[in-house]
Order: sequence, then C-alpha cells, then structure tokens
Amino acid sequence: MAGRNDKHEIWQGTLVLMVLKTLETMGAQHGYGIARRIEQVSGQKLLVNYGTLYPALIKLEQEGYIRSEWGNTENNRRARYYRLTSAGRKLLAAEARAWKRAHDLLARFWRPQEP
Amino acid sequence: MYLAGPIRRTLARFGELFYHGRRERELAEELESHLALQAAEYERAGLPPAEARRRARLRLGGLDAAAEACRDRRGLRWLDELAQDLRFGLRQMRRSPGFAVIVILTLALGIGANTAIFNLVEAVLLRPLPFPHARRLVVVYESNARMPMDGFSYPVFDALRRQSSSFSAMAGFSMHALTLTGAGEPADVPTMATTPAFFQTLEVHALAGRGLDARDGVRGAAPVAVISARLWRRRFGADPKLIGHAIELDRRPFTLVGIMPAGFRFPLSVRSAEIWIPLPQDPFFGGLMQNSGGHFLTVIARRRAGISPPRAEAALRLDWTRLARQTLSGVAGWSPKLMPLHRMVVARARRGLLLLLGAAGLLLLLACVNLTNLLLARATARGREMALRMALGASSTRLLRQLLTESGLLAVLGCVAGVLLAAWSEPALKLLAPAGWQGDAGLSPEVLAFAAVISAVTCLLFGLAPAFAAVRGRVNQSLQANSARAGESRRAGRLRGMLAAGEIALALVLLAAAGLLLRSLADLYAVTPGFQPRQLMTAEVSLPRYVYSTPQQWRAFAQTALSRLRHQPGMRQTAWAAPLPLDEGIIKLPFSIPGAPSPAPGATRLADYVTASSNYFRVMRIPLLAGRVFHRRDRATAPPVAIISQSFARRYFPGINSVGRSLIFGFPPHSGVLRKIVGVVGDVRDVALARSPAPMMYVPFAQAPIWGGQIVTRTALPPAVAARAIRRTIVGIDNRLPVTSVQTLPQAIRASIAQPRLRAGLVALFGVAALLLALVGIFGVISCSVAQRTQEIGVRMALGSTPRRVALQILCETARLAAAGVAVGLPAAWLLSRGLSSLLYGVRPGDPLTYGAVVGLLLLMSLLAAWMPARRAARVDPVLALRQE
Repeated sequence: MAGRNDKHEIWQGTLVLMVLKTLETMGAQHGYGIARRIEQVSGQKLLVNYGTLYPALIKLEQEGYIRSEWGNTENNRRARYYRLTSAGRKLLAAEARAWKRAHDLLARFWRPQEP
Repeated sequence: MYLAGPIRRTLARFGELFYHGRRERELAEELESHLALQAAEYERAGLPPAEARRRARLRLGGLDAAAEACRDRRGLRWLDELAQDLRFGLRQMRRSPGFAVIVILTLALGIGANTAIFNLVEAVLLRPLPFPHARRLVVVYESNARMPMDGFSYPVFDALRRQSSSFSAMAGFSMHALTLTGAGEPADVPTMATTPAFFQTLEVHALAGRGLDARDGVRGAAPVAVISARLWRRRFGADPKLIGHAIELDRRPFTLVGIMPAGFRFPLSVRSAEIWIPLPQDPFFGGLMQNSGGHFLTVIARRRAGISPPRAEAALRLDWTRLARQTLSGVAGWSPKLMPLHRMVVARARRGLLLLLGAAGLLLLLACVNLTNLLLARATARGREMALRMALGASSTRLLRQLLTESGLLAVLGCVAGVLLAAWSEPALKLLAPAGWQGDAGLSPEVLAFAAVISAVTCLLFGLAPAFAAVRGRVNQSLQANSARAGESRRAGRLRGMLAAGEIALALVLLAAAGLLLRSLADLYAVTPGFQPRQLMTAEVSLPRYVYSTPQQWRAFAQTALSRLRHQPGMRQTAWAAPLPLDEGIIKLPFSIPGAPSPAPGATRLADYVTASSNYFRVMRIPLLAGRVFHRRDRATAPPVAIISQSFARRYFPGINSVGRSLIFGFPPHSGVLRKIVGVVGDVRDVALARSPAPMMYVPFAQAPIWGGQIVTRTALPPAVAARAIRRTIVGIDNRLPVTSVQTLPQAIRASIAQPRLRAGLVALFGVAALLLALVGIFGVISCSVAQRTQEIGVRMALGSTPRRVALQILCETARLAAAGVAVGLPAAWLLSRGLSSLLYGVRPGDPLTYGAVVGLLLLMSLLAAWMPARRAARVDPVLALRQE
C-alpha cells in the first residue's frame, strides 16, 4: 500500500510542476488546455486524463498557488480558467531549481566515467 | 498575507465543507466542459458529433471516478477519521455500557458541581453591580473600637457631605416598612427613606417621571414618593397616568413623582425597597434628623474619577478632623471608613462560595484521578488490541488520536450531563447568594464556556496518561506475553497505586471539611435560643402612623388585639412584643447607668431593646432568674420599670444585685426615661443562632408602646388555623391593616440557618461522592493487582502459605496505600481548613475528633473495598493458577 502511494505522489509531484510551468508559459488556461499542452510538449508520451489532472488543480488552488475563475473560450464555451498566483510563481521557481539540481546530479552519474 | 500552509489548507478544506453543494455542481460543470472541448477537437478532426463525444469519453476515463478522485483530494481526511473514531468509540461504549455510565456519571458530578457553583460565583462575586461605573460606589461608615461598623447620624452625614471633595455624590438612607393602602389589600411595603442624592449617586434614572432631588429633601417640602416598577405593575396595574397622583403611605398622601426601571434594585438591604421617600417625610426617621447620636443612616458615595479608594479614605479622614474641630457633636470618638459597595454586598456570601468552589474543584480533580485510573486499567486490558493494531500498520499517533477521541466523547457526554445537572440545581443553590441579592443566576454564556473549558481540561487530564500508556510501543512484548498477563507492567501498577493514594488524600480533605461543617451545624442545632420555640406562632402588625398617631392609640390597639386573640379557642397564651428574637429588625439603643461614670465619647453603652406585654416571658418560656416579670400594674401611669437579661446584669452589674437599680434609656424620642430594674431573665439569642446572646433590656409595652408589634402565641392549633384566627381578629379591629410575616418560630429558626445547612449539605455530598470515588479507585487497583499476581499467589500457596495469610497480605497492601494517602491528605486538610474558620460555629478548624473520625472512616472503608479482592486472592487454586503459566 505504501509503495503505491509513493509512486502516485511522485507522479503527482511532476504533474504539479508541469501544470505550473504550463500556466507560466501560457497565462490563464482551462483544464483541457493545460492537458493538451502537457501532452503536446511531452510529444504525446504523457496521457493526462482528468482523473489525475483535476485533483492536482484542486490541491494547487487550495494551497494558494493558482487561482481560478469562470470564463469563455474562443468558441464561446464556458470553462474554468486557471492562472498562477505570485506564490505559485515562487513555488515554480524553487521547484525548477530543485529539479535542475537533481537532474544535474543524476546526469553526472549517467555520464561515461572519465579515466 | 499568506497563512502558513497547513492552516490555510485546513481552513480551505473547512470552507469546502460549507460550500459542498456548490463545489460539487461546479466540478461537474468543469468536467463536462473539458469533455466538450475534447469532443469539439475530435469534431474538428472530422468525426461526427456522437462519435466524437464517445471517443472523448473513452479518452478521458469515467466521469464519476474523476469526480470521486477530486472529492478525495478535497475532503477532510482527518474528519473522516474522526467520524470513524467516534463510531468506534460509540461501539466501545455499547459494548461495555457499565463502564461508560460510571465514567459519564463521575464526570457529570464533577463538571456539574463546578459549573453550578461557578455560576453563582460568577453572578455574585465576579459580575459588577448593575450601575454605571459601579466600581466607584462605596459605603461610608463610622467605626470605633466598640462598634467596628456603624451608620451616620443625619447632622454628621450632612456636614461631611458638604465638606467632602473626593466624592461626586453622597447619600444616606434607612430602611423601613410603610403601610400602603388604597390600592388593593393593605400591605407593608419595604420603604427607603433617603437623602435626595440617592439616585444620582447610583446614576440611575427613573423609568417615568423623575427620581428624588434636592427640593424634596428640604424640611416642609411636599411629601413625594418614587416607586419600583414591580409595585407599579402589581398594585397599580401599570397605570401610565399614575405620576402626579397621590398614593397612600401610612394613611398619608404622597405625590408620586417617579417610577424606577424594572431591573433596578439596591442590593445592600435584606428586603428590597419598593418605595423611596425623602428622609424628612419618614414618620419615624424624619423626627430623628436633628439627633446627632442616632447612627441610623447607611451612607453610600460615588468616588470621583481618578480618586483611588485609599486616597478617598485619606481625604475622608481629613474632612473628619475638620468636623471634629468644629466640635460637631457625634464626631469625637469615631473615625470614618469606606468599603467598596460590591464587597459589602457579597461580604457574607464570599467565604462560603469560595469554599464550595474549592470543594467542587477538589471533587473534579478526584474524578479525574479516578477516571485516569479506570482508563489505565482499561488500557491494560486493551493492550493486546492496541499491539495488534500497531502490528497491522496503524501509527501510534493514529491510535493515540483514537483513544483521545474516545475519552473526548466521554467528556462531551459528561459535560452535557453536568450542565444539565447544574441547570437543574440552580434554583436551590441561589440560597447561597447574599440575602439581599436577587440577580439573575441562569447559566450565562460565560458559565457554559467555563463548563466547556473544564471538560476539555478534564478530558486531557484523564485521557492522556492512559492513552500514552496504551500505545507506548511494546508490540512484541504484548503479543508474545500470554493473555492473562498482557500489558500491565510493574510501572503502570505503581502509577495506579499512587493515583489511588492521591484519591484517598483528596477524599480526606473533602471529608474533613464536610465533617467540620456538619459538626458546627450540629452545634447550631443544639444551641438553645433561650426560649422554647416549639408551638410558637408569630405574626406582625404595623399601624399606619398618620391614623394611629399617638401612643395612647398604639397601646389601646395592642390591648384590644391581645384580649380578642386570647379569647380565640386554643390561643390563651398570646403575647405582644417588638421585636421578636431572630427577627431582622433588632433595636439597639444606648443607655446609661445613673451614678456610674459616663463612658468615653463614642464608646456608648448599647443593648438590644424589646418592648413586650406582661405575659411575654411566660409565653416564650424565657426563665426568670431574679426579681419579677412585668405585671398588669406596670401601666402607663405607674413608675417606669425594666427587666434586663443575664448577660446585661453580668456585664454592667458584676457581683452586684441589679434588681432595684436604675437605667436611663428609651425608644427615641423618649430616650431619657429613668427606669427601675425589677427583674433579670435568661439570655436570648436575638440576632442569630450562631451569635452569642447580646445584653438585652425589656420594657412593658404599656409604658413604651410603639406603632405595632409582633403577636406571638403558643398554641397546639395547626399553623394554618392559628394564622387564620390571627388575621380574622386583626381585620375585625381595622380592616385596612396588613398582617405580615405569619410563620412558626421553628420555621423562622430553620430559615435563619438555611445557608449554613445548605453549605454543609453540599460539602457533605461532595465528601460522600469523593469517598465513593476513592473506594472505587482502591477497589480497582487492588483487584487488578490480585488478578495480575494470580500465579505468584498460586506459587506461594503451593509452597505452604495459608489463604488467611494471602488475604492478610492483600489487606496490608491496601492499608499501605491508604496510609500513604492519609499522610499526604492530613496535612493538606489541616492547612486548608484554616480558611474555613469563619464558617464554623463551636468547632475549631483543627478539631482532632473530626480528623480522627475521617481518617478512621477512610482506613476502614479502604479495607472494606479491598475485602472482595482479598477474598478472591485467598481462594486462588494453586493448581489452576500454576497451569496458566
């Protein structure tokens, strides 16, 4: 049970980061737009279904990193638009730095050993 | 501003709970819009709408599952767990209802007692008086070595009022009953005769009309009156046009100028005033205004803002010396003092209330200790359950939370039961408030908050230790040990022993207090009041002074009333006197002894004064010790005579025969009458049963009549019949006369000690509850220790110990526990009982008999509580016990 839980957390951790980054790049965006963007950027390697996306959005909003309001799409459909708050920006910056560090660190291990 | 993460999250989640419905709708709408956008995408790629929607659905997964995932994310997990714990707790309670009932009752008792007593403490001691800036109100009084507290005479009061700069207003008053006629049945109404600034001092305004003011206080002003809203409603049907009309007091018209608001009461007097009149208009006190020796005014004053009580008192003393220099008579020999009005009002109730609060607190503490003990025992029994759950992956914080939830549930139920108990007992407890106090004592929000806080503290006190004991990870140990021995380490056993000893100590303190109070109550009951109260019946008649204005009329009325009453069947033994013992209105008068050196100024000789018909001593059965009682020949025209009490004779005529000597005294304005002492009678406790008899002097009513008096009759008739006969007779003489205070003397005596009786009763109740709790504690500890040591006992019996010796050993263990409790409790009780001394009568706080009895009772009861477990130990079958190993 604990193991499954961990995996979920990791996945959600990265998803959260992707959501934040997407919102930073695109500005206010609705859930569908976010999902599409993540799928596109990942080269369709990731499949974002709403069973995972919306809980993450709700959590981010509860924690004050994003804000949401109802708006209309270009095709005049009602949709809920999310945007970053300043706390979200800070979190994104901090998380990005952490990921970068972790990535650099791991990269040293994967690099072929120098003689 | 950002809140810290966890707090914000929790708040947000609470928000979710309230906006649940809306959120749910919005979520559905959002998911639907997502689906629609996806479908639109497929449509743009060329799929027909229905197919596009189907694909979108497949692509995105089930709507319901997604909604569920969101709900999980959003919901309060700990709230779910709380609900789970509560359900589990309720199930536990259903499984062992006896345990739950005991716990809830114990808590209800402890919390209920504290809530009820605190309610009174809050209402009486903590709440300020209901006047603006009530803290600035003080009582000013005169004091000297002989009379620690006395009122002012009018001339001295008036001079002081003119001088004083530290008070913004000052007023003097005296209480009195006037007969109200012309509005329904004639009635004696408590009336305050006051100087004009009374209402200004309190800063209270009239509901309608005006209060009294300076023009009313002048001699020769038209008689005016202010009445209470209660009287206005009850007697005048709340007639709005009443102001400006006359009401009849003592058969004299007073113009009504104002009605006070409904909530207004002045708390210092025993009977609350319903009518206020200017002092010069009072038929009695009005005539005494020039007299500088009569200390009849109670004086209240309002300190100016910024002047502290010590500064006000210093200024007062300065004014006083200035007055003394003006050689105003009645100043020398006295000094002025002041006391906050609130303190004066609650003075007599304060000690008793604090005592009860302390006792209730101890009881609650004891209840906590007892519950801790019970729950510890239960935690031991549930050790296996806890160990199992931990082994299955429950975290210890989770288990701790569950156990605390269980005790919290019990605490909440106990709290509710306790508050109900407090609300139910409130009317009876109101008796503990000071006599004149009649505030509202309903359970206020503050008191409910108090109950909630003590319940929470209680819950933590009794819940934490057992919860920690239960989850302290000894998983393997518990699971491996066999079931009979599971848990219960030696350390837990010792802790429980200590708790039981603590219970004994607490119970000892409470029982000692109860014992002391009960003993002084018994002494009070045993007091002989100096007369025989059985079969005595009394009633009061007051004659309106503007109709019955002369002493001849008063005397004639008393004679007619007495002779008619004596002709009623069964009422031959009827006397007339004023005032009767144990009545509110004691009359203290100065006297002097011709030939004796006159005392220093201020050190006036005072004695209690009674004017009585000639048969008074026979009816009351007050013994004659020397000389004679009054007889018919002591009429108005005969030489004035007096009878003194034994303590009067001892104090002022030590070693001399007082019969035949003379005294000069009399009821104002005839205070200079020379009277010959014709007899000495036994002492009577006239002020209160608990007060030793004061010197008394009696005069024959025929020689010193006043406007009314009390009828006292010794009769075998049922009280109701006698009361009817008295009423009929009085009304037969004058149908506009009120007959009041009809009661039997035993009733009056019981009423006079109602407060100490209730107090002693409550503390005794707490004491008994404490004893029971302590016994349950002892029983629990000892039976647990026996159960735990079954094998050890078995081994010892197998090795030749007799059942008798085993039982004896258990009893010895109990005695050690009890002795430890006594060793702690006895000094504590001894120390705490110092605070009790002012509430005791006839017993000293260190009374060895009480302590001996309480210690003996506790030891004996502890051994009794251990009797059953000891017998069980003696019956242990060695074979069975050893096989369990």
